[in-house]
Amino acid sequence: MLRPEPMTRALIVGPREKLESTIEGLHAMQLLHVMDHHGEDETFGIGKPLAQASELSDSLVKIRSMMSILAVKAPPKEKAAIAVADLREKIRGLEINILEEDGTRKKIESLLADLGRRIEELRPFATLGLPLELYRDYESISVLVGRIPREPEIAALLPEAEVFRAEGIVAVFVRKEQAEAASDSLGKLGFSQLDIPKDRGDPKALLRQTEADEAKWTSRLLEVQGRLEKFRQRYAGFVVAAEEALEVEVEKAEAPLRFAVSDHSFVIDGWLPTSRFRELSSRLAPTGVHVEASPPPRGHDQEDPPVLLKNPKPARPFEFLIHLYSTPSYRELDPTVFLGIAFPFFFGFMVGDAGYGALFLVIGVIAFWKLPMDSVLRRLLLVVGMGGAWSFVLGLFVFGEAFGIPFHPAFGHEEELSWAMLGIDIPLEAIIHKTFAIADMIYFSILFAAIHLGFGYIFGFVNEAHHNRKHAIAKLGWFACLFGIFTMLTYILRWNEIAAWVWEVPLGWFPRAIEPLGISLFLGVPMPLLSFILILLGALLGLLESVIAPLEVASLLANVMSYTRLAGIGIGKAAIAGALNGQIFTSLLLTGDTLLFIMGILFLFLAQALVFLLGGISAGIQAVRLNYVEAFIKFYKGNGIPFRPFGKRTTQEV
Amino acid sequence: MADPMAAISAAITMAGTGIATAWAEKVVGGATVGAMAEKPELFGRGLILMVLPETIIVFGLVVALQLLAKVA
Repeated sequence: MLRPEPMTRALIVGPREKLESTIEGLHAMQLLHVMDHHGEDETFGIGKPLAQASELSDSLVKIRSMMSILAVKAPPKEKAAIAVADLREKIRGLEINILEEDGTRKKIESLLADLGRRIEELRPFATLGLPLELYRDYESISVLVGRIPREPEIAALLPEAEVFRAEGIVAVFVRKEQAEAASDSLGKLGFSQLDIPKDRGDPKALLRQTEADEAKWTSRLLEVQGRLEKFRQRYAGFVVAAEEALEVEVEKAEAPLRFAVSDHSFVIDGWLPTSRFRELSSRLAPTGVHVEASPPPRGHDQEDPPVLLKNPKPARPFEFLIHLYSTPSYRELDPTVFLGIAFPFFFGFMVGDAGYGALFLVIGVIAFWKLPMDSVLRRLLLVVGMGGAWSFVLGLFVFGEAFGIPFHPAFGHEEELSWAMLGIDIPLEAIIHKTFAIADMIYFSILFAAIHLGFGYIFGFVNEAHHNRKHAIAKLGWFACLFGIFTMLTYILRWNEIAAWVWEVPLGWFPRAIEPLGISLFLGVPMPLLSFILILLGALLGLLESVIAPLEVASLLANVMSYTRLAGIGIGKAAIAGALNGQIFTSLLLTGDTLLFIMGILFLFLAQALVFLLGGISAGIQAVRLNYVEAFIKFYKGNGIPFRPFGKRTTQEV
Repeated sequence: MADPMAAISAAITMAGTGIATAWAEKVVGGATVGAMAEKPELFGRGLILMVLPETIIVFGLVVALQLLAKVA
């Protein structure tokens, strides 16, 4: 549960002619995480791909280009059955057709682009109406044609020029020596010059001709696209299935690149779960290759085995959150269960509402039944669902609140909106009224911080105990320091009922003596002597880890304070919900006006959706963060290699 | 409200620490997304660096609540 699956190193040795059948066998079993051979050996170099590799890769490239031409993205519902042997012929036949159509399509598209440009070019001249040859070949006259936003003043501005006008277009014929001046004054009117087409004749007729051409080619393009669409409908299943089959074949054919191969033999080096070693050797040994096991190396200089997490079923959805941070190394405790307990509780505490909790729970249950097993979304929603379960329980029995409305108003705040006020009497009393019992919420946050971080240090101690005694003792020191900080805060906050209870009952044994020298008073707070000693002890033992450890006491205190975000988000969410609900109920729903009532229902729905989403997102992020940042830093290193057995296809999802 | 100055102080604390957090996260977040584009496996470390400044506003919240407790 706290350790990953134990691994055994397997060496598979055999004569070279057995290589292909061994690859087939390994690929089908999906058991062995192959360690790549780097060819540092004189006798054993890196293997060469199997003979069919280049042909297969070639087919794979072709099929991928077809996929992109046909724009096949999602795998279709039914995939065609594929026989790799006759794949090549089929791909070649299909390729000729598809590539030809695609070539035609591209040609027509570029032709259409040209025609489009020409139409744009001719259109202004068609509106002016002058034959195109009249615009050029003058000895003493310059012609300026262009678009102009304002035209009325032109004739007055250029008295010696001849001006032809159409909508937004002018053609100005002017003596060559005046051309520059004319161009300047036109420029002031926002004139932008156009190139004169090289053709001769009536621009209107030319334009009509070009437009007819464009229409003709557009219909041709549609025909080609229609044919490609038919190809797509007919062959999408085949193309996707062929791509998958070829990927597998290419992986197999190129596998020798990862093995050590000599002139006559091969060696495959890899890891597999110890419990399944027998399965591997019994399957491979009869084929004439030798399988040898060696236990994982103890030293740290050698390569660590890959990591396959082994957790009880309810904790498994949390594994993706661990991999997201970093895969645990083979030699440290797997924090999945740690996260799997803390995350949902923190989430539930922050949301702390029976209504929203029930909704999150329902979403989780739907995901459990409806979504595919290997989908990341399913795992995410399951995690949220478990948080929802805590939220439901805490909302019902501790916070007495559903959909941001308390079951009963808090004492002294009878005017506040509550379910009782709406005529629904729920026989459960809130133990903590979130919005008014801020001190309670903060003290609870500190209590959870102490428990959460405390377990973090215990994990850290176990991790370090095996390879660095000094660091392990330092972890114990930090544990003592954390306890010191916790007792100090409890002592300071004991004016609060819950802190007082903790101080009197579970901490009843704790020596009451106050630190006599007044050093702690100098820091601003009088604290119990033992707390002071524990904090000092932690700082001193921390020196075993690093020389700046004493400064880290402050950062540990900051870590503990950081948990007050549990209270902050909880109260904040309740306050937003309370404010929105209060406004909507008093000024819309309870006014007695039908129109306002309908508007109120609409607003109420929107407000509830907002609080639900906002609460879910912020509670989720903060709960993850408390684990990733505050807790994991205390004990978790990660950087393990995830176990990826040869032959297992990874589903690529976002 | 017994002491409006305390309430104003609480508001300034929240606003100041909020702006400080946002600014810090903007800087770190931008760099993190850039780094992640090159190496997606940096997500975990990136997220940690990204959310570290949040502690500023949590401290702000604690101080503001203390101030408001004085008011009440």
